[in-house]
Formats: sequence, structure tokens, C-alpha cells
Amino acid sequence: MLAMLLRRLGLGAITVWLVSIIIFVGVEMLPGDTCTAFLEREAQGKLLENCREDLGLNRSALVRYADWAGSAVRGDLGVSANGQKQISELVGYRLRNTLLLASGAMLVGIPLALFLGVVAALWRDKLVDIVVSTTAIFAMTIPEFVSATLLILVFSVWLGWVPGIVLTSADAPLIEFFPEVLLPIAVLTLVMTAHILRTVRSSVIETLASDYAQMATLKGVPYWQIVFRHILPNALLPTINVVALTIAWLLGGVVVIETVFNYPGLGRMMIDSISDRDLPVTQAIALIIASVYVVVNLAADILTMLANPRLRTVHMRKG
Amino acid sequence: MKNILGVASSLAIMASMAIAEPSGTFRQAHEVGSGAASSLDPISKGRVFQVTEKIMSRLVRPDMEGRPSPDLAISWSANDDATVWTLKLRSGVTFHDGSTFGAEDVVYSLERVLDPEMDSPARSAIAMVSAVEATAADTIQLTLTSSFADLPLLLMDYRLRMIPEGSGDTIATTGIGTGPFMVESFDAEGTTKLVANENYFDGAPGVAAMEIIGITDGQARLQALLGGQIDMERGITAQQRVMLDGSDNFNIQVIPTGNWRGLIFRTDVAPFDDVRVRKALRMVADRQEMVDLVMGGGGVVACDSPVGPTDQYHAELECPQDIEGAKMLLAEAGFPDGIDIDLHVATLEPTWPVLAEVYQNQAAEAGIRINIIQVPSDGYWNEVWMQKDAVTTRWNERPADQALNEIYLSTAKWNESYYKDAAFDVILSQARSELDFEARRALYVQAQAHLLETAGTLIPYHVTRLVGTTSRVDNLDAVENNSVRWHLVTVD
Repeated sequence: MLAMLLRRLGLGAITVWLVSIIIFVGVEMLPGDTCTAFLEREAQGKLLENCREDLGLNRSALVRYADWAGSAVRGDLGVSANGQKQISELVGYRLRNTLLLASGAMLVGIPLALFLGVVAALWRDKLVDIVVSTTAIFAMTIPEFVSATLLILVFSVWLGWVPGIVLTSADAPLIEFFPEVLLPIAVLTLVMTAHILRTVRSSVIETLASDYAQMATLKGVPYWQIVFRHILPNALLPTINVVALTIAWLLGGVVVIETVFNYPGLGRMMIDSISDRDLPVTQAIALIIASVYVVVNLAADILTMLANPRLRTVHMRKG
Repeated sequence: MKNILGVASSLAIMASMAIAEPSGTFRQAHEVGSGAASSLDPISKGRVFQVTEKIMSRLVRPDMEGRPSPDLAISWSANDDATVWTLKLRSGVTFHDGSTFGAEDVVYSLERVLDPEMDSPARSAIAMVSAVEATAADTIQLTLTSSFADLPLLLMDYRLRMIPEGSGDTIATTGIGTGPFMVESFDAEGTTKLVANENYFDGAPGVAAMEIIGITDGQARLQALLGGQIDMERGITAQQRVMLDGSDNFNIQVIPTGNWRGLIFRTDVAPFDDVRVRKALRMVADRQEMVDLVMGGGGVVACDSPVGPTDQYHAELECPQDIEGAKMLLAEAGFPDGIDIDLHVATLEPTWPVLAEVYQNQAAEAGIRINIIQVPSDGYWNEVWMQKDAVTTRWNERPADQALNEIYLSTAKWNESYYKDAAFDVILSQARSELDFEARRALYVQAQAHLLETAGTLIPYHVTRLVGTTSRVDNLDAVENNSVRWHLVTVD
């Protein structure tokens, strides 16, 4: 078990390192750099040279990457290219704001998805299932920016219940994000609930058809006892990974949602830093998102193993 | 009787306005164009002009017709050949920090713009100023390298704002000026808060506070306006207009501007080095159709002149579509079977692809085959503009002299069409030293007519700006940012 954990962590570190290289090469390959993005039409002659010299952009890409990676390993993410501010400070607030958004969506979305998924499966092909499943398909397939715009139109413009756009500064106290954060949370909840719900539903249906469930029915075990003792524990196992992926997706900053709602989270910061060609900030955020994916996936696997005796023993024997 | 009551009540309203304390908060958005590099230094590249225009004053400001009118300078005069200018300053003005405004602050502010070390983009606007001197506590003398009859027009530049002497190192965050509003907190990506400066020399502002909020996404800005979270949005598109029209909650101002979009054919490369080809390329354009199709009617037809329709030097020219004439010119130039052109277009400016397509269809009638090449918006100004032979461009409003000189003078840094015409250069330099307004105007008109004959730049229209406001906003001047008197704005 421990060896497995260490191996997974090692692989995770390599993943994060590879991601940093891919991001670095990707941003390098985009036309223009921090200076041309900032100076636009004035990016000529001395002004451009001075800017590049100030930011150290004259050095070769390899030297700059080595320089950055060296500091990053020591925990120093550097300063942003065009604001000259400490990145850890800039990213800190954005990460916090994204966490607020993500936890809001998770707290509402995950229980809701589990409940609706189970209900839809138990009353399969009944009216409640048809309504839930159809709504889920709509929520999944309508792009987030469309549902976001629709919700703004209805709840903010027409009804005037909640503000449509987030105007709070990135470093404001969390409490000031209410009630502005409610609409973005609603949109995220809509999308993630649909994803998880559909997995839960098919998993429960599959388990209902399993041999041991049918055997229990034949033996005359009461229906609800079968559902709670045998079906649900087994059916919910596979959903742990889907939930984990969804959490990682949420923590990585939901770029589209954050842009539509002007929400000052990691996702919007990523987009802004790319258009500013602010490589240090882009790298830092990519690093955070990659780490989140690695850690959350690892956690999900461990959880699955703990919950499933068969997987546990297999790995124990291997380890 | 009814009338008398009406008059009396409107008088009462006017009287109450005159003595009213500043009240309410006016909120607007800005697009955070400079990101994390945003600054309150009016001459830096990252200046947030939506803030600096409300907190700092210029020497000269435009009146509602765009003519120079007093701001911190109350009068000005030139010597006979317009090489030495004397400006008399307003007295009794204080900065937001309580210090007194005087000639030394003007010297400091202008020399800072001219300092090569500062690398300010505003420097080119007044590059002809060679010396700034305080000749008395309230008098400034500007010495120019060459005659310049319209210096006051240049001093209206939105960046040339006066800051306290010696404040250069701190101005980027303090924003201390003499304007109608004072900075309470500056946060370009979040909300910048301004409060009324009750000592403003032109009278106390109508609103007690202003909030300038960073919203990068255009759609999000419109949503914020629709939801009543901001009071004004200055970039409403023709498509978005329908959402505000017909609603009692919003008003729309229609403001003609000197902003323009256009196509450039580089005059230094074949086949565009032949003036007949260039003229033919511009003759095939049906400009009114372009206004209708590209801008949804929100534009004023231009005849390849960068000078805006409201500028006092704007030339009234005619430029109807002439397909037969274009064909003849092309045949004369050796292209009887038409011509193939690669036009490079990015989505950096959302209307460019539409403009290119409309032009492609119009030009096809004269045998001009336009091949539209999509290029990335990233790095457009470096790798496409002024590099490829046929590209798209856009410019914001500039005074006539500045527009003509910055974009068409043989030696101009931003001569994007590589236009080199000695006769044109001569007209411009004559205009600069001509002190008689009518004669000067005739010269600028001549310069614009010269461009219509010879230029490589197709300027089909000047953009009309649509400003959306919530109905609680009153007394907002229906003019471009540069001229708005922000202290007059009130909210219910």
C-alpha cells in the first residue's frame, strides 16, 4: 500500500513536470511575447528592446525555463511579468475564490446528483426518471455559457433577484462575494449534477440487474433492504472516480464560467495571463491545476480501494 | 396658468440642482486593457483613461464642438510664426492633496512627457515642443522646434494631464490631480472608487462617488448594464442595441466619432506602387453598403480621410462606387483581366472579417479577386500589420493634424501604408505654420483631397459610438470621452 502510494506520488511529480514543459513550449510557440502583447502598436525599436531587457526576455528559452524551474522547486513562483507582483500573492486570492465557487457547487451538486441518480434508477422509465434524465441531458449538452447567459437573463435582468455579474475585487473578504456568487454556483451545479447523476443512474441500474441482487430478491429480502444493504454500497463505488474528476475540473478554475460572470478566480486569471503573455503566472496556474488533478485522482483511487475489499487485497498482494 | 406652473417648477428644479450636494454613485466598467500593468500615471502605457479623465485636468480641453477651451490654462497666444506659445494658468486651483497648482507643476508634467527616459507614448503628440519654461507664477511659455498653429489642439490630448511637481514616482498609485474626482482606492482589475472633489474649480460634481469596475468580457459588461449593476457602457454594438432600445430603463446616446477601420494596400510594393491601381481599389467600395452591412448603420461614410466627421478640419468629399472607372484604371495600369490580392485579416477587431468579406464581394464586380487570409490576433501588430502587403487596420480618433501626420507623413513611425508623397508633406507643413484659421482649414482640406487621389488606405467610414446608460443617469454629455464634463453627471 505504502509503496503504491509512493509510486503514484512519484508519477504525479513527473506529470506535473511534463505539464510545465508543455505549457512553457506552448506559450513560447504563440506569436508575440509579454512585451509585444503589452505594447501593441508601440512594440518597435527602443521601447521594445528596453521592455525585453527589463523582463529578461532576451535570454534563450532554455535558460529562462531552467531559471524558472529552479525557483519553482524551491517554492518561489517568481513575480508576474508585467505587474511585477509576487505571484504567490496574486494566485493565492484567485485560488481561494475558485475554492469558494467549487465548494459551493460541490456542497449542493454532489448530494443532489446522488439522490436524483438513485431515484431515477429505482423508478427507471417512470415519469420521474424521464423528467430527471431529460433535464440532465439538456444541462450537459447546452454549453455553459448559454445556460449562464440564460440564467442571468431570467434571474438578474427580468426578475432582478440576484446580481448577474461579479463585481467584487479578487482580494475582498469572502462574505462580499454573496450574493454575486450564487448564479455562477447555480450554473456549475447544473452541469456537474448532470454528469454525476447519469453515472450514478446507470451504475445503480447495472447493480440492480446483478446476480446477487436477483438472488436476494428470490430469497425474499425486502426491497428497501436490498437497495440500502446491497445495491447502493456497490453501485456508488464507480462514481467516486467521476466525482473526483468533477472536483478536479471545478478546482482547476472553470474558465468559461469565470469569464462569463467576470468571476476573479484561477480560470479567468489563466486566460488573462495567456493574453498578456505573462508566462510566470500561466506556469504557476498550470502547476496548481496539474497538482490538483494528480492529488484528487490519487485520493479517489485510495478511497475506492478502501471501500472495495477486493481491490484492496489485490494491491496488498502486489505491494 | 399651467405654463407658469411648469416654468416655476422647472426653475425650482434648476435651482435645486445648482445648490444640490453631490449625491449618489455612478458606476461604469472598463475593459482592463492593460491587465496587471494598469496604472494611474496618465502618460504610462498602462494608464486607465476611464479613471485619469476624472481625476486629472489638462491645460486645454475640448468644448462640445471639439474646439480648444480652457481647462487649467485660461488663455493662450502665439508669436507671429507660431513657434513660441504663452499660456496663462488658472489661479487658486489646488491638487487633491491640498497643495497649490502652479507653473512649476506644468513644467514638471510636460518635461516628464518629453523625457526620453520615460518612453511615454504621449511624447510623440507634443514632440515639437523643445522647451517648457515658467515665465511667471501663472504663466508658461512653450518653445517649439517649428511653427505650429494648432498647438492648443495637441494640448487637448487625453494623456497630457497635470500632476504635482515631483510626484512621478508615486502618481501611478496615488492619482493626485486637480480633477472633479479624487481616488479613494485604485484596483484596476476590481473596483476603483472615486469620491467627489468639492473644491473642483469648475464647480462641485453632481455625484458623490464614482466606481470604475474592471470587466474584461464585452458580453459581461452588457449583462452588468442590463442587470443595473453599472450605469454606463460605452461600447454597445449595433447588434446589442436592440436589447436596450424600447426599454424605459435605458437610454442610448449616438455619438459620431473619428474612430475608423480600414484596409491598407502598401504603396511601396507592386502592384500597389501604381497610383492607378490604388485608386481603383478604393473606387470599387460602396461605402454606404459597408456601413449598413458591417456596422448595422452605425457609421458615417468617409472618403479615405482619417479626419473625423466632427473635426473642424473635416473635408466634405464625394466618393461614390465607380466600377467602370476602376476597370479602366486597372486596364491602363496593365491589368485588363483584373488582379489577385491576398488580404490578411484577424479577428482582433471583430468587424474586420465582415468588412473584408463585403469588400471582397464589391471588388469582384471590377475583376478584383480578393483572397482573404485569416491570421491570428496574437502578434497581429508585429507580424502582419506593416509587414504584409494588404492588411486591415484600425485607429482611434485623433485631431486632423495628428491623424494626417502620424499615419501619412513620409517620415512617420506609423506610416502603415508606406505612403511617401513630397507634395502631401509640403501641404501639411504649410498648414502647421498658417495662423489664419480659414487658410489653414483650406490646406487640411487639400491634404485630405490629395489622399483621396493617391492614398493606399481605404477608409470606408467613421464609427458611430453607442453609449448605453441606465435611466437614472442625467446630464451626461453626448460626446466622446475626451470631451465629457464628468462633474455634470447626476444620478437619481
